[in-house]
Amino acid sequence: MAQRTKIDARGAFCPGPLMELIAGLKLIEVGDEIEVWSSDKGSAKDIPEWVAKVGHEMVGVESCEGYDSIVIRKAK
Amino acid sequence: MTSQPLFILLCSGEHEKIQMAAMMASVGAVSDRTVHVFVSMNALSAFAKDAPPGQRYSGGAFSRQLLEKGAPDAMQLFEQGRMLGDLKMYVCSMALDITGWSEDSLVDGLFDDALGLTKFLSDAEGGQFVTL
Repeated sequence: MAQRTKIDARGAFCPGPLMELIAGLKLIEVGDEIEVWSSDKGSAKDIPEWVAKVGHEMVGVESCEGYDSIVIRKAK
Repeated sequence: MTSQPLFILLCSGEHEKIQMAAMMASVGAVSDRTVHVFVSMNALSAFAKDAPPGQRYSGGAFSRQLLEKGAPDAMQLFEQGRMLGDLKMYVCSMALDITGWSEDSLVDGLFDDALGLTKFLSDAEGGQFVTL
């Protein structure tokens, strides 16, 4: 069963949340997911763009109170 | 489709420009793109190995805000780009000659080599070139 890891990157400035996500992806298995919490206003668009470019899968983006929750599935 | 390699010529000692170079280099490198950075002129002093915290960069109002708000440090961004992606860092051999510095004068582990501009420009043919 897929595991989901949460990264709380709230308060980190661009490109901090993306870098934390990439570092986190190296630690999980293919098929597992990472949920990034980011208060950086660019992350909700930047992270899906990066995910599409490098070939992972977007699970979803949700706008929460003061931050975005962005969920990615490791695909390779 | 393979992305064009990105070549960044970093000459400015301004914090704001060094920060943008570091952001472009690190994000580019982790996006399946080869990135080459060539550090020369006033940018060199920002890469001094023993620069005291808070005195590494010169800059204006935005630099002060970067420091006050705790934005990622440019040197750390370059390191992350090297660790997580395909980022090559070169120091200008002419700048080393002028300052009397060696590669040992620079932040540990950040640079691949000292290089002349001719070689960097030759490598950059066919890539995307940005000057800061």
